[in-house]
Amino acid sequence: MTADVQPGPLERAEIFDIVRDRLADILEIDPAAISEGQSFVDDLDADSLALIELVEALEEELSDRTTGFRIDDEDLADLKTVRDAVDYVHERAAEGA
Amino acid sequence: MLPIAVDAMGGDRAPGAIVAGAHRAAEDGIAVALVGPADLAGRDGLELIEASEVVEMHDDPVQSIRRKKDSTLVRAAEAVRDGRASAMLSAGNTGATMTAALLRMGRISGVNRPAIATPIPVPGSTPTVLLDAGANSEVQAEWLVQFAQMGSVYARHRFGIDTPRVGLLSIGEEPGKGDALRKEAFELLGRAGSVDFVGNVEGRDVMSDNVDVVVTDGFTGNVVLKTLEGGMKTVIKAILEAFAADPSNKPHADALLPALMPLYETMDPETYGGAILLGVDGVCVIAHGSSSERAIVNGIRVAADMVAHGMVDELRRAVAT
Repeated sequence: MTADVQPGPLERAEIFDIVRDRLADILEIDPAAISEGQSFVDDLDADSLALIELVEALEEELSDRTTGFRIDDEDLADLKTVRDAVDYVHERAAEGA
Repeated sequence: MLPIAVDAMGGDRAPGAIVAGAHRAAEDGIAVALVGPADLAGRDGLELIEASEVVEMHDDPVQSIRRKKDSTLVRAAEAVRDGRASAMLSAGNTGATMTAALLRMGRISGVNRPAIATPIPVPGSTPTVLLDAGANSEVQAEWLVQFAQMGSVYARHRFGIDTPRVGLLSIGEEPGKGDALRKEAFELLGRAGSVDFVGNVEGRDVMSDNVDVVVTDGFTGNVVLKTLEGGMKTVIKAILEAFAADPSNKPHADALLPALMPLYETMDPETYGGAILLGVDGVCVIAHGSSSERAIVNGIRVAADMVAHGMVDELRRAVAT
């Protein structure tokens, strides 16, 4: 399933929807089962490869909206929860918008 | 059939042997597209998918695929994803090939982790399919069941074995042998109706006619693969040295050669064209880094065969059971 992405600045809620939907695709779980407070590893059983899949999917989807949008590999270790990822993407998207 | 996307820059003998192998496959009637730089030498009439970067053998697999977006590996995998190629083949960095295929083609729905399946030659019989030969150094018992399902599909399509016998690699044939992972996998495989599980097998069974598919974790599988490759090379070298040790051996050696050459052909990994990555949503052949022109043309044939057999759809059905 794909979130409906429209041109223009990204709202935080929109980013959560995108992160949740991409993560649900990768983990093959119901998007409704994903919440911001969940830990990727402890709650969602997402391993490092799943996180790389998520990062690639987000970069591909968001590059149309935010010029040169990129998630640095060095920052991946700091993204422990869904909220961390949403905050990070929101911040980077705002920088590039 | 759409062309097979061949990474022209991957492998110890690239691009020369790769381009030559692609031409031979094209002469056999297989559509081929080389993936490489605009000024790639020797491509003549073959289609080119342009890519300006190369993932080197020593590059980190994940980082290189993330950073080299215009690499031959990424462009080859994208060509399959975007419907411009029916399959991809590379003799380059194995981990990066796997990563490119996984990230660009995606996984087949329901597959936990793709696995590398490698044919192991068996004298006088069809090869044994060994998986995982190196994609996942740590696995879960459930993944081994999926490897068994996927390996069975591959053995059926690649070697025409109707009901492949599946063995779990362990340190003894009895059900209780092995570590906790093997014991749990034994139970799960025994209950999985979708595969013909024959129980534990040992290392000595891999090159025998006792089993058609051997499942294990990628760490163990890779050690087995490299041990067998090294062992076979050593034995062949020792035989040739024995022949050459004394001039009086030459007529005897000459007399034996007609009998030994077909055996050598059977045992030569280049005959089989390489391994295949099972579980991604497309056909991805991983050729040996030292592949010659012959290995490349055989690998392209395998890719085309698996596309023609609809192997990916069969895998989809197998893991859904």
